[in-house]
Amino acid sequence: MSEQKEPKLKPGACIPWEQKKKELPKISGDEKLIQKVWEDIDALGYMYIWQCLLSF
Amino acid sequence: MAKDMEKLYAERLKRYVTAMRNEKPDRIPIRPFVAEFTAKYAGYTCQEVTHDFEKAFAAARKCAADFDWDAVVANMVYVWTGLTQAIGMKYYGVPGIDVPPNTGFQYLEPPEEKAFMKPDEYDQLIEDPTGYLFNVWLPRISADVSPIDEPTSYRNNLSFLKGGMAMLTYFNAFEKQNESLRSESGTVSAISGILKAPFDILADKLRGYIGLVIDLFERPAKVLAACEALMPHLTQAALSGADPDKNVPITIWMHRGCVPFVSQAHFEKFYWPTLKPIIEEICAHGHQVLFYAEGDWNAHLESFAELPDQAIVYHVDKGDIFEVHKAIGHKFCISGGIPNFLLAYGTADEVRDYCKKVIDGVARDGGYIMDASAIVQNDAKVENIKAMTDFTREYGVY
Repeated sequence: MSEQKEPKLKPGACIPWEQKKKELPKISGDEKLIQKVWEDIDALGYMYIWQCLLSF
Repeated sequence: MAKDMEKLYAERLKRYVTAMRNEKPDRIPIRPFVAEFTAKYAGYTCQEVTHDFEKAFAAARKCAADFDWDAVVANMVYVWTGLTQAIGMKYYGVPGIDVPPNTGFQYLEPPEEKAFMKPDEYDQLIEDPTGYLFNVWLPRISADVSPIDEPTSYRNNLSFLKGGMAMLTYFNAFEKQNESLRSESGTVSAISGILKAPFDILADKLRGYIGLVIDLFERPAKVLAACEALMPHLTQAALSGADPDKNVPITIWMHRGCVPFVSQAHFEKFYWPTLKPIIEEICAHGHQVLFYAEGDWNAHLESFAELPDQAIVYHVDKGDIFEVHKAIGHKFCISGGIPNFLLAYGTADEVRDYCKKVIDGVARDGGYIMDASAIVQNDAKVENIKAMTDFTREYGVY
């Protein structure tokens, strides 16, 4: 039986936070907040393409 | 919400969920998957309900209220062609544009040489499915999205902006539709979340059926690796749309992975091993999956029986429902099995007789949901849908 293999880019992500962070200057304040918002909106882009494939 | 509707909704939800857990409710739930039939009943054309989802929602609500069903799909004319047109999708026959206005929308599978994924692109897909879809697939299926190495355009930018905003508008509208079904007629929204098998995705949207079947012989290792690469993403997509209350199931639309579209060996090597773990993962999260087995999947009942009890609700289209019941009825709820040709061309008496035969054969111990075999379009007669409904309400009491 095929196992669910660990993908290179995790499901839910288009541009991972780790990649985006490298483009930014040093973050001060609440980095987790910036990460969460980035990932939440990135997931919308992910949803768009996978729903295009699945639902439309 | 009026108290009587709240009470009715609670009764219906309990009835529907009890049956889906393969137990015996107070009576057989009635849950027709009605698409363009709702347009016919409500006085709309196929074009109206396909291009304007608010009309589709209204038609579904009118049917739910007038027929007094326990559950209904919030919008079974699910492809909103206003959205697909905004994106520029090439693979739809749109009512009023590509097909007559009172014909349901159609999928247009390209010829083999124009498949949306080329045979030498498996490695790209396997390496990064999301990236492949954005960079290669989307520009091919859209008339407006620019290929990745070519200049962008006004139309390209608008495709993403309009497509994204339209998709959010549409998906967000389902919350109000579900609430309206509940408050106006006490009707349960039947399903939540979507899944397709990796194999079916390759056939439906990427390589095409002919291309994939050739690939099974010419590059089988790539096909298997591609299915495996799609698995975590399809799992994620399914779970992201699932019912947070874990009442109603995620639906898998099962297409051309069965005999005779492919051989038994191909099903056992490609289709099932890359689908079963997804189902198991979904079950582990506490959700059921509705196997909407379009066509005849009876050659594979033994494989489906490998799943845990109550993992799925098995919907019967052209398969022999009595055979299904014998093979897996002790494990899973069954739905459907009332032939669409009967609902379109038969008499009300013939429909009642057939419903009786099915109920007597598979529903006596519970674990059955009344529905047509396949999605009901605008060829079904209103009096026959009424006959199926009224008979089941009377005869299907436990």
